[in-house]
Amino acid sequence: MGRSHLGEFEELVLLTVGVLYDDAYAVAITKEIANQSGRSVAVSAVHKSLYRLEEKGMLKSRLGEAESKRGGKRKRLFNITPFGKKAIDESMDLRVHLRNQISDLAFNWQAD
Amino acid sequence: MSQKIHIPKIPHAFFKWYCKKDRYEELHGDLEEFFYERVAESGPVKARLLYWRDVMRCCQPYAWKKPQGRLNSNIVMLKNYFKTSLRSMVRNPLSSFINVFGLAVAIGVCIVVYSMVQFSYSTDQFHEHKNEVFLTTFEADRDGTSTRYGFTPTPLGELLAQDFAQITKMARIKDEAVVVKQGENVFHETIRFTDSDFLDMLSFPLKWGDKSSLNDPNSIILSSDMAIKYFGETEPLGEEVLVKFSEERKKVFKVAGVAEAFPGAHAISFDFLINFENLRQADPDFSATNWAAFVQATLIQVDQASAIASIAAGMEKYRVLQNEVDNEWKITGFGFEPIASLHENSSTISGDISSDQADEILIGLPIMGIFMLALACFNYMNMAIGSATKRLKEIGVRKVIGASRNKVIFQFLAENVFVTFFALILGLFLTSTLFLPWFSEIAGAQLSLSLLNTDLWSFLIGILLLTGLVSGFYPALYISGFQVVKIFKGTVKFGKKNPIMKTFLGVQMILAFVFITMAVMFKQNSDFQAKRPWGYNQNGVLYVGVPDESAYDQLLAAMEQNPNVESVSGSGDHLGKSISSAVVSFADRSYDVQRMLIHANYFETLGIPMASGAIFNDQPGATKQVVVNELFVKNTLLDEPIGHLFKIDSTQYQIIGVAKDFHAFNFYYPMKPMVFQAAAKADYRFISMRVTSGSELAVYEDLKENWANLFPESPFQGGEQIDLWAKFYADLAQMKRFTRTVAFIAIMLAALGLYGLVTLNVSGRIKEFSIRKILGAGLLNISRSIGRQYLLLMVVALLLGAPLAYIMNIGLVKMMFAYPLPHGHWSVALAFVLLVFVMLMVIATQIKKVSRSNPAKGLRAE
Repeated sequence: MGRSHLGEFEELVLLTVGVLYDDAYAVAITKEIANQSGRSVAVSAVHKSLYRLEEKGMLKSRLGEAESKRGGKRKRLFNITPFGKKAIDESMDLRVHLRNQISDLAFNWQAD
Repeated sequence: MSQKIHIPKIPHAFFKWYCKKDRYEELHGDLEEFFYERVAESGPVKARLLYWRDVMRCCQPYAWKKPQGRLNSNIVMLKNYFKTSLRSMVRNPLSSFINVFGLAVAIGVCIVVYSMVQFSYSTDQFHEHKNEVFLTTFEADRDGTSTRYGFTPTPLGELLAQDFAQITKMARIKDEAVVVKQGENVFHETIRFTDSDFLDMLSFPLKWGDKSSLNDPNSIILSSDMAIKYFGETEPLGEEVLVKFSEERKKVFKVAGVAEAFPGAHAISFDFLINFENLRQADPDFSATNWAAFVQATLIQVDQASAIASIAAGMEKYRVLQNEVDNEWKITGFGFEPIASLHENSSTISGDISSDQADEILIGLPIMGIFMLALACFNYMNMAIGSATKRLKEIGVRKVIGASRNKVIFQFLAENVFVTFFALILGLFLTSTLFLPWFSEIAGAQLSLSLLNTDLWSFLIGILLLTGLVSGFYPALYISGFQVVKIFKGTVKFGKKNPIMKTFLGVQMILAFVFITMAVMFKQNSDFQAKRPWGYNQNGVLYVGVPDESAYDQLLAAMEQNPNVESVSGSGDHLGKSISSAVVSFADRSYDVQRMLIHANYFETLGIPMASGAIFNDQPGATKQVVVNELFVKNTLLDEPIGHLFKIDSTQYQIIGVAKDFHAFNFYYPMKPMVFQAAAKADYRFISMRVTSGSELAVYEDLKENWANLFPESPFQGGEQIDLWAKFYADLAQMKRFTRTVAFIAIMLAALGLYGLVTLNVSGRIKEFSIRKILGAGLLNISRSIGRQYLLLMVVALLLGAPLAYIMNIGLVKMMFAYPLPHGHWSVALAFVLLVFVMLMVIATQIKKVSRSNPAKGLRAE
């Protein structure tokens, strides 16, 4: 099948890479996730997920320009691959599908 | 953005160290970006801290360098070596078992030897002041030889402490046999009178209570063992114990301290400690200023170890003082022995408070350990070369693929260390479960293997590498030397003429010879010792210890009612229990002799035969008459012993009879000159009884019953005379078993070594034998052609081995027994026959194999 499981945090990283199109590198991703989700994120966790996703083939990467704010070092920029998109979509579909299957009764708390 | 703030160096270096080169730029770029931002936002301190945190967090597998490159191929090869050696071990279970087991036994023996030697050298080394605390000794000239003694005149300690400023602490020690009673518990014990400094000088920490309580004459300090014996595991502080110094003199002590359990390696110890001043209560005649009375030991502690020289130089005046008082037994000078070396030198100091291991253990066992290891190593070498026949192709392929000779050598060495490692594990297991408890019993020392001991680990690693490399080096060199072409052509000349292998085998046979001789000789010696007469008739004799005269009278009256008691005697000393000593002075010389204070009946009761003269009677006035033994007469060179006069303690005695020599101690010790004196009735401490044969048990029961009725408060100490030596006979039997086991292992190893070599030789000559057989060679011819090359080897090994085995073993036996078996060479002859028989059997199995094999099969190859 080859369908790799996406961890929750990995999924977040994958989505954020898409959001930050063309400027998705570790520092920006870390800040973006922190901003949008409101939780504190370690850059090492983002690194780990990025490399894992690249290994799985959901991301591809290239080296960017050297910048002085990085001590003259280049950054690695990530882009989503079609396989990455498929993984996101499948994951979203699964969630929506499951969500729709929940009957209204389950949310009917007044009865208690 | 401040230009002055830099990335902290230490975490940066750490990051560089663990990070992959190709990810360093991007990863560290990220960290730097965060760092500079944080410097701007929250200042350099916080930024640095957070940078530290990030570096630590990034230290994860995705960032790590992968071990790569040059190490890799070696690890892969090692894995391969490991696999092939496992396979070849599994394929030849018998030979691998022999190898591993042989090495394991040898290593086990070495570990035991190591722990024994280590035990001996660590004995009493736990005392913090071992170099500053000294035992006072003196030298005295007796029988023309100078002897060093470990006890001291009573007043010396106090005078030393007064006269020398360098002496900071002093403790006198006097041990007395007493009865200790606590509740229902009544036991005979040895109590130690000592000064309060004792516990400061020697490091015996207390589990409960206070050291200073030794100052208090009403306090008693118990050893851990004694506390458990009397009070169990509960804290006994404040409990009272009654100490009976004699029937009339007793005192109640309060338990004020309990010592921690003593370390295993100790020679100096104690059961009970009480203040020295109690001696005045225990002994009405005690005087602290009496130079003629002695204490067990006088310990002094000096401020610096070097100060002892100046003290030793100032001892002359005490020598003069001592010799004025006791001019019969002149001493030649005082000396000092530090606690650090007391244990080691204990055998040269007579009557000291320490003791040392028997020499045969410290010398004999390491030799045995080395021999065993050598035997196992030689075996391994021969087996390794032998089994290489089956692995020739493997070696050839390895070489063709590109292994250099060094690689092959390395392979075999690695394999060997691997096998040795197995053996080491098994050896450790054997040691801890089997050997150590066993040897502990023989040596009478509590040996233990502490795996936390770093010395032990270095020893184990040392023995692993030594054994592994020594036994593996020659086979590795030999096997790796074959030429590939010859291997594949099948023309490797293998094992046909290999002087080194034969030398190994020869040495192995010599060692096996030594061990077999040992077993045979110890067996014969044990039988000899077991049959050796004691010189008196100890069958049917019962003895019992009594505390004083009235107890003697009461028990005697009770036991005389028993019709089975044939003869009764009281005595102050008793064979196998207590024998005193005395100095006898003739006009021109003095002798140290043993003395027994007895009733005239004692000779009859114990069955001690007389050589000449008469036995003293027990009339008053006759007490100045004595009987001596033959050895006394021999040593003092008296021509006409009867009627001769000599003095003991300035009293004149006359010899009226000579008793035949007998063993007062077990056969490890030589007989000694002895004087028998009539004892005053008040001094009787033992009753001995000869009973009609067969009634020993009944009388013994009667004795115990009478004792329980008469003295319910005192412990019974009696039994059959013959049981006093039960431990000695058990020792003999154990030695026999031990040497037999060792010899069995040795002969097994040697036989297997020979088996391996002969097998190898025969398989290398299979074509030759096939042709011989086709041409009509019979069994005899084949036997001759196989046996010929081993005959010379065996003859040489046996010729060299015989004298070596004889000298070593008779030396060992002589060292251990005062009366070794007289015809040791018969043991060698017996061992010789046994060894030759086993070796011939081994060769015969191969001859049989060859004679049954089909010559067509042998020639079919190619």
